[in-house]
Amino acid sequence: MTIDGHAENTIETQDLTMVYRSGKVEVVALREINLSVRKGEFLAIMGPSGCGKSTLLHLLGGLIQPTGGKIVIDGTDISRLSDAERTAVRRRKIGYVFQRFNLLPTISARGNIELAKRIHGSGHSLSNGSGAVIDMLGLREKLGFRPTELSGGEQQRVAIARAVITQPAIILADEPTGSLDSRNSRAVLRVLQDLNEKLKQTIVMITHDAEAASVASRVVEMRDGQILSHPAHGAYEPEFEGLF
Amino acid sequence: MESLVTANIKSRPTRTIISILAVGIGVTLMLIIGGITQGTLNDYLGRTMGVGADFILQPSGASIFYAFSSAALPIKLGDKLLEVPGVATVAPVLAKFSSADFGLVFGIDLASYNQLPGWLRIVSGVSRLEGDDVIVDELYAKSHGLRPGMPIIILYHKFVVSAVCRPGAAVRIFVSLKTLQEMNATPDKVSLMFIKAGPGMDVQKVFSDLKGKYPDLAIVRTSDPSLLLADTRMPGLKEFRFTIVLISMLLSFMVILLAMYTTIFERTREIGILKSLGASRGFIISMILRESVMISCLGVAFGTMTSALIREVIVTAFPTLQVAMSFVDILRGCALGMTGGTLGALYPAYKAARMDPVKALSYE
Repeated sequence: MTIDGHAENTIETQDLTMVYRSGKVEVVALREINLSVRKGEFLAIMGPSGCGKSTLLHLLGGLIQPTGGKIVIDGTDISRLSDAERTAVRRRKIGYVFQRFNLLPTISARGNIELAKRIHGSGHSLSNGSGAVIDMLGLREKLGFRPTELSGGEQQRVAIARAVITQPAIILADEPTGSLDSRNSRAVLRVLQDLNEKLKQTIVMITHDAEAASVASRVVEMRDGQILSHPAHGAYEPEFEGLF
Repeated sequence: MESLVTANIKSRPTRTIISILAVGIGVTLMLIIGGITQGTLNDYLGRTMGVGADFILQPSGASIFYAFSSAALPIKLGDKLLEVPGVATVAPVLAKFSSADFGLVFGIDLASYNQLPGWLRIVSGVSRLEGDDVIVDELYAKSHGLRPGMPIIILYHKFVVSAVCRPGAAVRIFVSLKTLQEMNATPDKVSLMFIKAGPGMDVQKVFSDLKGKYPDLAIVRTSDPSLLLADTRMPGLKEFRFTIVLISMLLSFMVILLAMYTTIFERTREIGILKSLGASRGFIISMILRESVMISCLGVAFGTMTSALIREVIVTAFPTLQVAMSFVDILRGCALGMTGGTLGALYPAYKAARMDPVKALSYE
């Protein structure tokens, strides 16, 4: 199922709208967003704080339900699905990478990665074809460590491994370099770039950082709940530099 | 695979230990108080049957706990009972509870009592119950360091041990019926009468005749333990047992409820992470429940071991007190502890499963 009939689109939104209500107060977070992401594309979404980037990412991941419009993820319209059905879509098709890594602190790196497989239903151990991802992320020697024993960069690589280990159709990355120093940021961006180029992984990344956005194959800018531009790769000049 | 449930339990040792202790205390409470109750009943049953009477006659509505029954039977009733065809022996008894000894004292007429098959087999001293004489069984004598000729205070009255009998008699302390009646200010009254049919008599027929002649009195055949321990003869016991079970289960329930409820707030962000990974509500509920089951299991094991230890201490310190703890009792205690713990985790598990993932992920 696609909205514009393009079979290669992994993500499509049509007039996607999100309004938060608190009593009689309504806050429009997203206004009729129309966005398509092709299979294997690396899309960066930039914009100032409060522009709706995170809301858009939550909607794409099925964590919340839109108040209007459609979201098609890998052929499935998730906008009208129940919470349980959206959870199932997320489990099968989406991997999340967060700014604050969000690893479970009580278990090791291996445990965190295996947990994703267990939830996904694709096994309980890292034996089945998981070695390539672990090696690619340089985590072989770090699997036994707990998150608190790892550096920020290492934690984020574990989080990326957790996101990709179940081979989801889409990786949604929410400011993945936001908590890292420049050296670790570059390393994580390189990993994401490798995943996109070598494994043809579709990635949607939201970021404040123009340098981070530069590794994407396409960058769009958001402001006030709307997408401002769809510039081609390399032609992007952020309009909101200095706002944060 | 590394277990998230085990890791969570290990990561919060204080909460885990307190929860295990609370579940264990609930199980211990159930096993020990239930065990003492059942032990007392078993003891009563064994001793009553050990008297060897065919029937026990008490006032209507009397309790199996003889001490709870008032001295309402006239002693002259015994003579009339002997007139019933087939009745060979009638032994009148006045029962009093001695709180200091946590047991019954029987005031008996030694001559009629010794006509019963469970007569007092004297191992030392003189078989005599007159005035301030008292006969105690070996266990009581041993636990109190008594020998014939030694004085002892019972029911605030000074007695002298005339003899020591073998254990297994109806009670451990026997005094003169007349003395106890005077002490109780109920002359010519008794609490119960043990009745024995004559040799070769049709016991059922004698029973029917007695019931026919004294329809307003409670006459029970001692050959049927289920009748001896019938609920109607133990007023309040069923409710007492139910209350103990309820309190024990509530203890497990409340502690696990509180522990898991606190835990899910501590782990709000972790639950958000699990949801972002696609964990279903069932997965989250199962995770919380498995954690509570594991804590309950440890609590039940702790409670069972503690109960066994306490039972040994009680039996050693108070040899006259019985604590019944069968395999079935232990299984029942474990099952109730587990049930209380698991039920206690249901609401927190449900609440965790229904958390908004976005709010959970942004929880600080």
